[in-house]
Amino acid sequence: MSFRDNAVIWFSFIGLLISVFLINNLVDDWGRLSGSWNNLTIFISESLWPPNWSVIEPQAYPVCTVYPLFDFTCSTAWIGIIETLKIAFISTIFGSIISLPLALLAARNLNPRWISFIVRFILAAARSLPSIIWAIFFVILVGFGPISGILAMTIYTVGYLGKLQYESIEGISSIPLEAGKSMGLSRYEISKGIVIPENANDLISQIIFMFEYNVRHGTVIGIVGAGGIGYYINLYLKFLQYDKVIAYLIIIFIVVLIIDFISISARSLFTEEGDSNADSIFTSFLKLWKETILPQGLLFFSRK
Amino acid sequence: MEDENKTPIVQLKDTVIGFNSSKPLVEITNMEIFPGEVVAVTGPSGIGKTTLLRTIAGLVKPISGYIQVCGRNPSQIQRGEVGYIPQRLGLVRHASVLHNVLLGAKTNQKLSNSYFSSKAEKNHSLKTINSLGLSEKTHEPVRRLSGGQQRRVAIARTLSQSPSLIMADEFLSELDEKTINMVLREILDYVRASKAALLVVEHDVSRAKEMADHLLVIDDGRVNPFISETRTILLEAEK
Repeated sequence: MSFRDNAVIWFSFIGLLISVFLINNLVDDWGRLSGSWNNLTIFISESLWPPNWSVIEPQAYPVCTVYPLFDFTCSTAWIGIIETLKIAFISTIFGSIISLPLALLAARNLNPRWISFIVRFILAAARSLPSIIWAIFFVILVGFGPISGILAMTIYTVGYLGKLQYESIEGISSIPLEAGKSMGLSRYEISKGIVIPENANDLISQIIFMFEYNVRHGTVIGIVGAGGIGYYINLYLKFLQYDKVIAYLIIIFIVVLIIDFISISARSLFTEEGDSNADSIFTSFLKLWKETILPQGLLFFSRK
Repeated sequence: MEDENKTPIVQLKDTVIGFNSSKPLVEITNMEIFPGEVVAVTGPSGIGKTTLLRTIAGLVKPISGYIQVCGRNPSQIQRGEVGYIPQRLGLVRHASVLHNVLLGAKTNQKLSNSYFSSKAEKNHSLKTINSLGLSEKTHEPVRRLSGGQQRRVAIARTLSQSPSLIMADEFLSELDEKTINMVLREILDYVRASKAALLVVEHDVSRAKEMADHLLVIDDGRVNPFISETRTILLEAEK
């Protein structure tokens, strides 16, 4: 058995050794860890727990005029999470629309080296700043509010998602690409007809992962005034009302779980596992969308 | 193999094929394939049969020598002129049978000249799918099909191109006798009717002799091509 056969295990082991060496250099006082468990229990029992669910009660002002059963929609948690979801959704869609063509250009198995080098440079530049720095930048440029958040997260999505996508495109089998090249398909036709459908599972899971990432980061960029639930989290952190903060964090956790469920269902359309499982209502709808509504729609618009 | 009255579809002269000039795989002094001819390549595994096909398809550059496919250098082959069925098929597994066959039809020069090209491409693809007995699987993702059905999809994709040259790498493996007969009939009918050429890699020598006009045997008795000397193609007498 060669080194290459067990490369992942060897790299992990070497990485672990280097990490142990580095952490020993970084940490000057290991004794500080001893009191951490005690601090955690005090923090949880006295500040975090139980969560203060008043955050899902309607705000005193403006007066809530909706039917009482739905008055939670006037709460800060609802308003904040919906704004965060909107920002994350718009940024993910805009970001993925921009990143997919860039990723196709950045993939070295589809393009000459010089093209992929230039595009990779652009993607690296978009990725080099974290979304919170982009948010600060856009807050300075266009002021407080969701628009700064959307711009910041779109740019970050382009950089991050673009990298994930071109790496997975480079990982696809070369045989369908060769078949396409030998037929004389253009680079555009190969991308649209072979690369995207062949890579659909990865591309969809990456887009949904990016949406989930943007929801989580939407909370962070809200802290610098770029809109969303982060604004409220920041507010209650300043007032040391951690019980309200934990309530918001639980809501975010539930939203992330729901997104994860959607991700699994959506990806099942493109995997052998999904073929053998019974269809859920969600996958049935997605299947109907993918196999009937979408092709018919595309056919309608592509008619000459 | 030679016919004075026709222009060869494939012509190789003093061609050396391989990835590394110090370790060539196959050396061909003269090889010509004419319209309507079926040529089967046979020989042990790893000898360079697939590389020969990939070189003719323009996917691998020859080390040296002269290659013309449809009167052109392989790197300048026109859209749809060559249909190549790789050993591992190269299908888009997550897309439907129709999508895969349409990819071939899009390169069909006869169809693309039509005003309603997309409609013509779809109709032509459906017809080809039907002729290979896959009409019930038209909208099924390829990954859900059996190995033999997938092989038929790859053949349908190539036939929908209406190519002048079809190259197939072990395209009859995984098929049962009945399907082999159906597939062979379809592909040979196409070759005869449209005066195309067929170059196949076939391990089963008796079947190769049965379907081919000519048999090319690549063999120097050594299995690993990367450590062996340059080998030559022995051209067996015509059937």
